Amino acid sequence: MATKVKLEKETEQKADAIMAHHGYSSLEEMVADLIGREYQQIQSGEGSKEELASKLSGLGYIS
Amino acid sequence: MAAATVPLWHCRSSRSGAKKMLVLGFDGMDPTVVRRLIGSGDLPNMKRLADTGTFTMMRSTIPPQSPVAWGSFIAGADPGVTGIFDFLHRDPKTYTPLFAQSTTLPGGWNVDLGKYRIPLKGAEVKLNREGTAFWDVLEEMGVPATVVKIPTNYPPSKSGQRTLAGMGTPDVMGTYGIYHLYTSDEEESRKDLTPNNVFYAYIDEQGVLEGEIEGPKNDLVPGSDPMVIPFKAYVDRAHHSARIDVGGQEVLLAEREYSRWVEISFSLGVPLMNLTGMVKFFLLECGERFRLYISPIHISPASPALPISTPESYSKELADAVGLYHTIGLPADTKALSQGAFAMGDFIDQSLSVFAESRKMFAFELDRFQRQQEGLLFFYFSTLDQGQHMFWALNDPQHPYYHPVEAQRYGGITDDLYRQFDAEVGRAMAALPPEVPLVVMSDHGFAPFRREVNINTWLVKEGYLTMTTPDLDEQVSILDSADWGKSRAYGLGLNGLYLNQRGREGSGIVTAQERRRLLEELKGKLEALTDPQNGARVITHAYISEDVFSRDHLDRAPDIILGFARGYRISDSSPLGQLSPEVVVDHLNWWSGDHLIDPLHVPASFLANFKINRDVPDIKDIAPTIVRHFGGQVPAGMTGKPLR
Repeated sequence: MATKVKLEKETEQKADAIMAHHGYSSLEEMVADLIGREYQQIQSGEGSKEELASKLSGLGYIS
Repeated sequence: MAAATVPLWHCRSSRSGAKKMLVLGFDGMDPTVVRRLIGSGDLPNMKRLADTGTFTMMRSTIPPQSPVAWGSFIAGADPGVTGIFDFLHRDPKTYTPLFAQSTTLPGGWNVDLGKYRIPLKGAEVKLNREGTAFWDVLEEMGVPATVVKIPTNYPPSKSGQRTLAGMGTPDVMGTYGIYHLYTSDEEESRKDLTPNNVFYAYIDEQGVLEGEIEGPKNDLVPGSDPMVIPFKAYVDRAHHSARIDVGGQEVLLAEREYSRWVEISFSLGVPLMNLTGMVKFFLLECGERFRLYISPIHISPASPALPISTPESYSKELADAVGLYHTIGLPADTKALSQGAFAMGDFIDQSLSVFAESRKMFAFELDRFQRQQEGLLFFYFSTLDQGQHMFWALNDPQHPYYHPVEAQRYGGITDDLYRQFDAEVGRAMAALPPEVPLVVMSDHGFAPFRREVNINTWLVKEGYLTMTTPDLDEQVSILDSADWGKSRAYGLGLNGLYLNQRGREGSGIVTAQERRRLLEELKGKLEALTDPQNGARVITHAYISEDVFSRDHLDRAPDIILGFARGYRISDSSPLGQLSPEVVVDHLNWWSGDHLIDPLHVPASFLANFKINRDVPDIKDIAPTIVRHFGGQVPAGMTGKPLR
């Protein structure tokens, strides 16, 4: 998929800073990695409603 | 903030006039109960403080939730500075509820080796509490501090001081406690107690039960099942006892006996990579019925899977000194009692076991503190809070969950606990010369929780929240079924109400011009809301956040904080956006006392062996009082005022 995304100047500057900080060699590599991480988080259920319900239940505040 | 290269407690003070101070944090200690028991002569040590120093009510935070209040205690500032307003916040763009205290950031840069995925950079948990902790100010001054079981500090913030994380610390699953129950009662084994694990206990002809303790998934093997530790229980029903073999260890238990900590280790399949946790077994019944409870898998303080202290070695140092101890922030298993896995007596036994561990830890640290030349010791106890949540109905015949038989049998437990806490105050007073300031404080008091309120159902009925379905039941959630294009407000969290604001919420419609008028309108209607059962007011104050908080992190705050009247609280379903048919219904659960209400109804307690300079202190005043005591300048971000 050769999707093009138009970035505003400020976002582009932030992307450059992230690439420099983490050592990504290209914008494509950074985007692919960040999407992979976000997907992994969704798959793991981290931050899901179920996980929050489990936390509140664990604390006792909901049964 | 510069971290000390040499731990401060190894330094001898070069300053003259070295000072010390001790602060005891008794979560949930209610000033009304303290006053009554002082009056009846049950709390002789607190009475001495009241007679010679100070005993007064103390203002808690808006709302008086523990992570909010302890956050203010730590930073000496209101929630607008700490950025913690509720157990739950939300992402305004997606309306998704988020856990307020910390955020898990996913790992990255994995290397795949066969079936294993080795993370070169692991997931991180980030503490969201803002502001400067008082122990960091002391560190800059060269004053050593030991801060034990401090809430709202998981993961522990970077520090050169000794700190051990308290409330907010998870189990090895990353949850706040998932227990196992093996039961020979078929009906009980079919109960849905999600997320807890309930299994039918099949005991063979030789009296052997083979079971498993389910742990976390192995992150090194993508898509793998949860890791398990097998165990065998050799059941002797004739003698009401069992032997449990687990991980090469034997545990002998009589019926109703609660075991020692048993360390268990999950193999990650890679050499030298194991995940260590620890559990306690509780043989609830071993006669006609067999019921075995296994506690949530705590992080072992002796070999922590995740850092729970600063320095990281401190949790082990404590364990070496006093033995293994609970590490989950709120360790008494309230949900086991709420869900019927525990009877009241079981919960009391477990609570007293937790308290006994805390007392041992406190005795050790108090002894060390006695021998120190200077410094601060803070020690936190959770037992009064968790107990009062569960024991309230035992002494409240008006509570819909009042059970006369349990009340008769266990009704004295709350007063007993207060007496035992008074003994800890006595221990501290005996250990220290009177010139060392001693503060005994809580974060909030307690109130009955008799009726529960679904604020989203109210918003729907009042026309502020529009759903895509006409149904009002717990299967319907605003997260799935709200028509955001027609909704002006929504509730998330335990005291929070938000406007659906244009430019802030993902599909917001309330304009900046409409905002203030709508807030005032909602405040008026909420404060006029009455209980259809008895006509009583349900909400005494609806606090508009921009009127009551500092602005540093106001963007995280709900627009309105719901200050419920005594007897009322948010329902179980409302905090995560679920609806219910009625707005106000009876609350039928042993979780019968609460404090997530208007802070005016649940003030905290403040006792000290010195006089203070005002009638009613505020919880945010304690950190500046500590800093001032040690001769420091109160930082600008600490908006509380010293009490001396």
